[in-house]
This record gives sequence, structure tokens and C-alpha cells, in this order.
Amino acid sequence: MKWLLIASIPLYLIGSFRRPLFVAALLLQLGYLGGRGLSLGRLPLIGPGDTLAFFSCSIALMSLPFVYARELSGQRRFFWSCGGLAALFALCALPFPTLDMPLPPILDTYWFELHVALAFFAYALFGVAALLGGAFLLKGGRGFLDLQYRAALTGYTFFSLSMVSGGIWGYYAWGTYWLWTPKELWTSILWLFYSMYLHLRVKGTGWDRGFAWLGIFGFLVALFTYLGVSMLMRSSHSF
Amino acid sequence: MQGQNHFVGVFQVLNSLYNRLTSLNLGLWLMSGVMLALAVGSFARGSSEAAGLNDMPLLLWLRLAPFAFSWWLWLAVALLVLLCLNALLCSIEALRRKGRSLAPQLMHAGFLLIALAHLFSAYGGYKEQLQLGEGGIIGFPGGERVRVERITAEVGPRGMMSAYGAELRVGSGELSRVRPNEPLFHKGYGIYVKDVALNPAPVALLEIHREPGALAALLGALLFTVGNLMLLAQRRGR
Repeated sequence: MKWLLIASIPLYLIGSFRRPLFVAALLLQLGYLGGRGLSLGRLPLIGPGDTLAFFSCSIALMSLPFVYARELSGQRRFFWSCGGLAALFALCALPFPTLDMPLPPILDTYWFELHVALAFFAYALFGVAALLGGAFLLKGGRGFLDLQYRAALTGYTFFSLSMVSGGIWGYYAWGTYWLWTPKELWTSILWLFYSMYLHLRVKGTGWDRGFAWLGIFGFLVALFTYLGVSMLMRSSHSF
Repeated sequence: MQGQNHFVGVFQVLNSLYNRLTSLNLGLWLMSGVMLALAVGSFARGSSEAAGLNDMPLLLWLRLAPFAFSWWLWLAVALLVLLCLNALLCSIEALRRKGRSLAPQLMHAGFLLIALAHLFSAYGGYKEQLQLGEGGIIGFPGGERVRVERITAEVGPRGMMSAYGAELRVGSGELSRVRPNEPLFHKGYGIYVKDVALNPAPVALLEIHREPGALAALLGALLFTVGNLMLLAQRRGR
């Protein structure tokens, strides 16, 4: 089944200028994840191989409403940048072996799957917001910034829901809705960062460029929360 | 006349302080400060799991831990207290003006309730780990006892434990089963099974938790979510 994931990469890189090819690449990834899900009997959400593939697919899936947004019709470079971002993380997933095992009992609950899936949808939307921020800085046009705000606000909603479901899972699994680990600290940092970003909207148009840059920086914070903490810090709470 | 001038002066100072406390700029600086303190803290030895931060209520840990370990958390907590005050006053100001959306105020209320929940847990939380075999007893305040009747585990095809749990009897009542993600709640405490071993004799690693902030945290999360979804609906197409 891995060929589906592999095939999606050149399709994103070469064809995602065109919306039908973008959708075709996304369908390949959905096929790959769906196949893995069916064979495992669960969402493929453990280990770097599966989470990176899930993240890549989430980026494409969350990009879709923006790729088809009326305000962005004809913005082929933006479509390609979304496809490129999805391809990058699909490429990162390839070297890692997949973990073909049942979930450990402590992870075997819908709260865990909901928590992780929502977090990836949020990271993906923060990625789309960063691309829209980049488009604003390169080309100007307030439309990009308005869409960046909408992407970030939707991502923030998913991320908050992910924290809520994580807290409920933690309470039933660990006895507490909160643990002091580097992952939780960075989760709080990311949540506070986007809280700050959304508040900055009230500041008005004088902050437009700063707003766009913050949207880009926020995605780096999200990447550190997802990948950096797992790779650089010792925490029981990592993939 | 001098007394009146003094009163006016005090009023002006208080008014200026209130305006500062309700300002968006202060909120933004405080959020940045909390983020910075937590970011630095995440690399500090104090936040490592070996430092015992998860083994006792937060306020007790802050009292016992050397300041060199805990300074970042003191700083984060102090800034968070100010941030809560800022959010509360901002919401009060917004509610005094008519025609404002309720969504941000619900989100603020949810955030404040979650902060309060953390305070409850930081003060009255409890955690204890016990390793008990079959027949082992957990004692509760008031003399009540919970007995471990049976410890079970299933090993999957790959040699990994695929399921495990313990059967507990509260007093002389019915049997209750605890499994991962299915604790037993009794008298405000949760009994969690963390691990089991069957050889040479069945033993279960159990954890007793009390999380007094859990309900407030859940209510806060619900309020926040409602506000967040309202905001999302309002901002659609804008």
C-alpha cells in the first residue's frame, strides 16, 4: 500500500498547480491511510512514519477549502505551495518503518484518536495559514490575510478541542487532565501563541505585516511542538 | 480643599491602573511572558519528569523545590495570575458595553474556569502509587477498604500485553473491574491500574488520584468550546 503514499509525492510536486491533480494526490493519500486503518482496525496514529503521513494528508485535506476558495481562484502558486508542503511531510514519512501492531491498552480509546487527529488538523491549518501569510508578504492583497486569519482561527478551534479531548483522555488514563511534561508545556505555548495572534487582529491594519509574519512563525512553533519536542526532549508524551 | 485634591489624585491613579489592567497591550505582553517562561522552563531541569513535578500537587512542589529548579514556573504562575485578572477585567468592560459579541467573553470565562481548576488541583490534588498482589488492601480515609480480588492480563500474538486489569471489591460490596482508561471512582478518588505482572505471582501497579479541579476544568472547557464555535460561526465569510 505504501506505493499510494509514494505516488502522491510526485503528483503533488508536479501537478498540484492544477486543482484536479491536487485532489487526485489527496485521494491517493486517503487511500493509503484508509488501507492502513482497515488493516490495523484503528487510525494510523502512532510512530513517526504514520503520524508524518497523517500530517501530510491533513495538510492537503485542510488546504482543500482554500484551494477552492473563490478569493483564491487562479492562485496556482498557492495551490502548489500547499501541495509542496504536503509532499514534504509525505517524503519525511517514507524512511520510517510503520508500526503494524494493535494500540497499547492505554491508547486504545476514541479520546486518544480524537485528540491526535484534531491536533494534526490544527497543525495543518496553521501550515496553510503560514502559506497564506507568505503569499501576503510576497504579493500583497488583504484577501490573503483574511484567509490566513480564518485558517488560524479554525486551526485554533481544532487545537483547543484537541486539548479538551486530551484532557478527558488523560483523566481516564492517567488520573489527571494535566501533566507537566515538555510536550504539554509546548502545547500550552502553541495555544497561547495563537490566542495572542487572534487578539492581535483587533489592532487593525497597521499590524498587517506583523500579523502575516506571526502566522508564519506560529507554524514553526507548531512544528517544534510536534517534531522538536519528540526529537530533542525527553518526555513520556511523544510519538 | 486639600483633602479633595488628594481624593482626586488617588482616583486618577486607580483609574490609570484599572485602564492598564484592562488594556489589550498588557494582555499581549503577559501572554508573551508566559510563553517565554514556559519555553525556557521546558529546557530546564525542573520540568524533567525526574524532578517530580507530576508526583505531588503543584503548590507543594513549588514550596519544596529549590528556586533554581522552579523559578520559571513561579514566573509563569505570577504572569498567569495577572493574565487572568486582565481577561476578567476585559470581559467585564466588554459586557458593560452593549452590542458586543458574547463569544470572546465565553472563551474568557472558560479560560478563567480552567485556571481556577488548576488552582484547585494544585492545592488539593493527591497521587499515590501502590504495588499490590491479590488480597492486597487499599485503605481510604474513614477506615473504608478496597481489596484487590483478582489480577488479570492477556498477552497478544506479538508477546505484548494486549489487555490487563484488576477486580476490586469496595468494602463487602460488589466487584468492580479496573482497566486502562476505565478507573474506579470512589469517595472522590480514582483508582487506576497502571501495569500488571503475572509472574512469579500476580501483582498490579495501582495509582490513587484525587483531582479536585477536574469538574471545573470540564465546565471551563465546555464554555470555552461553545464560545470558540460561536466565534468561528460569526467570523465565517468575514
